[in-house]
Amino acid sequence: MYDETVTILDNRKVNAEYYKLSFRSKRLAKNVLPGQFLQMKIEEGYDPFLRRPFSYYRTVGDRVEILYEILGMGTKLLTEKGKGGTLKVLGPLGRGFSRHVERKKRILVGGGVGVPPLVFLAERYDCYQFLIGTKSRKEILPSSEIKKFAKTVRYTTEDGSFGKKGLVTNLLEDLLKKEKGNPQDYFIQTCGPNRMMERVMEIADHHGIEGEASWDETMACGVGVCLGCMVLTRKGWTASCKEGPVFRFDEMEKGH
Amino acid sequence: MVDLTTRIGPLRFKNPITVASGTFGVKDEYADYVDYRKLGAVIAKTITLHPRKGNPMPRICETPAGMLNAIGLQNKGLRDFVEDKIPYFRKRKIPLIVNIAGESTKEFGILAKELDRYKKSIAALELNLSCPNIEAGGVRAIREGRLITKTIEAVRKETQLFIFAKLSPELGDVLETAKEAIRAGADGLSLINTIRGMAIHIESRKPRLAVGTGGLSGPAIRPIALRYVYEIKQALPRVSVIASGGITTWQDAVEFLIAGADLLAIGTANFVNPRATLDILEGLKEYCLKHHIKRIGEIRGSLVTHRRS
Repeated sequence: MYDETVTILDNRKVNAEYYKLSFRSKRLAKNVLPGQFLQMKIEEGYDPFLRRPFSYYRTVGDRVEILYEILGMGTKLLTEKGKGGTLKVLGPLGRGFSRHVERKKRILVGGGVGVPPLVFLAERYDCYQFLIGTKSRKEILPSSEIKKFAKTVRYTTEDGSFGKKGLVTNLLEDLLKKEKGNPQDYFIQTCGPNRMMERVMEIADHHGIEGEASWDETMACGVGVCLGCMVLTRKGWTASCKEGPVFRFDEMEKGH
Repeated sequence: MVDLTTRIGPLRFKNPITVASGTFGVKDEYADYVDYRKLGAVIAKTITLHPRKGNPMPRICETPAGMLNAIGLQNKGLRDFVEDKIPYFRKRKIPLIVNIAGESTKEFGILAKELDRYKKSIAALELNLSCPNIEAGGVRAIREGRLITKTIEAVRKETQLFIFAKLSPELGDVLETAKEAIRAGADGLSLINTIRGMAIHIESRKPRLAVGTGGLSGPAIRPIALRYVYEIKQALPRVSVIASGGITTWQDAVEFLIAGADLLAIGTANFVNPRATLDILEGLKEYCLKHHIKRIGEIRGSLVTHRRS
């Protein structure tokens, strides 16, 4: 874990909803795993007081990229920061996704702002199918952001303004119906709204496919101390920041 | 060189910096960031007799200059604490203050009795008499049942360990409660615990915390905490006080010392800056050097009043 003050290289809107922030940090870039996160103090001062957790989106050399949307005061303030501005970042934190899935075919299922850590996986490692669901075309990433794995990507939007209309979980069901392989030939990794991931887990369970999901809750400390960001696993309430945010499907309590 | 040694009754701390219960874990959670041996003491998260699952989610919510929490004393219970946590501190010779809460006065007594067996490894007990987030043994139950005296007597009977009673304005008049606590056998006080607050999500109209309300901490409560520390030290100058409530910078720490605090417990600030304790310690030393203060005691209770014209 490193606690650093970093200088912003770039911070700009990439589509109607998302912003991309980049900064340079050799240590944070070198030691991170997809699915891990960092805790960012956006402004010195007391309001907002707490840091904000962000998942990693991409690292290129010693450059770290974060993809985010405005969710509240902290992220709103972040959009106002420009090149040369400074941020305090603590990371990498938490447990990430499995990078290597043996010989299995990696299926990624991302919803909304849960997509960035999966992009990290698809780009850096491998990907068989990348299913992305958003509310509308406003959240669709520009093609330049996904070019390394563009062939694997299939979109759904809830309003039908891009890709197939409907939920990304329907796309997953359709895909698995068509696939001819054995369940153990696949591995699903998912990140997105809780309801979406619960449905992904149900579908995976139905097909007997293993996988991992990134569960997070509102965090304060980000290091397993405050016990604010608990998720219900088979071990009981578990700090998503420390034991997670990525958990294997079979670690989670059913119907949590 | 500045002598930061802080003496409280029979206890001797190398400096006045400690941590507020619940903000520093129960063992080595911050050991990657902080050399615990540099702290005056560590106050562990509240231990209960039996393991507690804690409250449903959401348990926390950020508010202006602070946060609300309703964790509900999630912990693994006494047995795990004595087997797994106490040895960690003993081996490293880190002064440990054990914070306890019982669901009844009887449980407080049992906890004290059990922990007394480890008295060589424990610097002091801190009684959590003011948790806003639990029913039995929580601040409301203690206030409504007038249980301060009974609880402290139950603990006092079982141990010779130094006892700090942790109070909050939620218990009623703090000075009266403080006097009652001392009469009942507490050796010192911890001021203050979180203050109950609330936040509402305006779209869903649900409270932001699953249990409705929670304890407010952080800089938002600092002036309130400072006032209580000052007033209690004015009224009870011989009673030692662990001050907590939004201490975030070394300047805050100096303020509390001037008001009379003996130990300074850093709380929510740890969540923002894992090295807050050591940063504050450094700042405090520099302040002393700049002001030619040789012993930290020279600042304690040194408030200068305005001249009346």
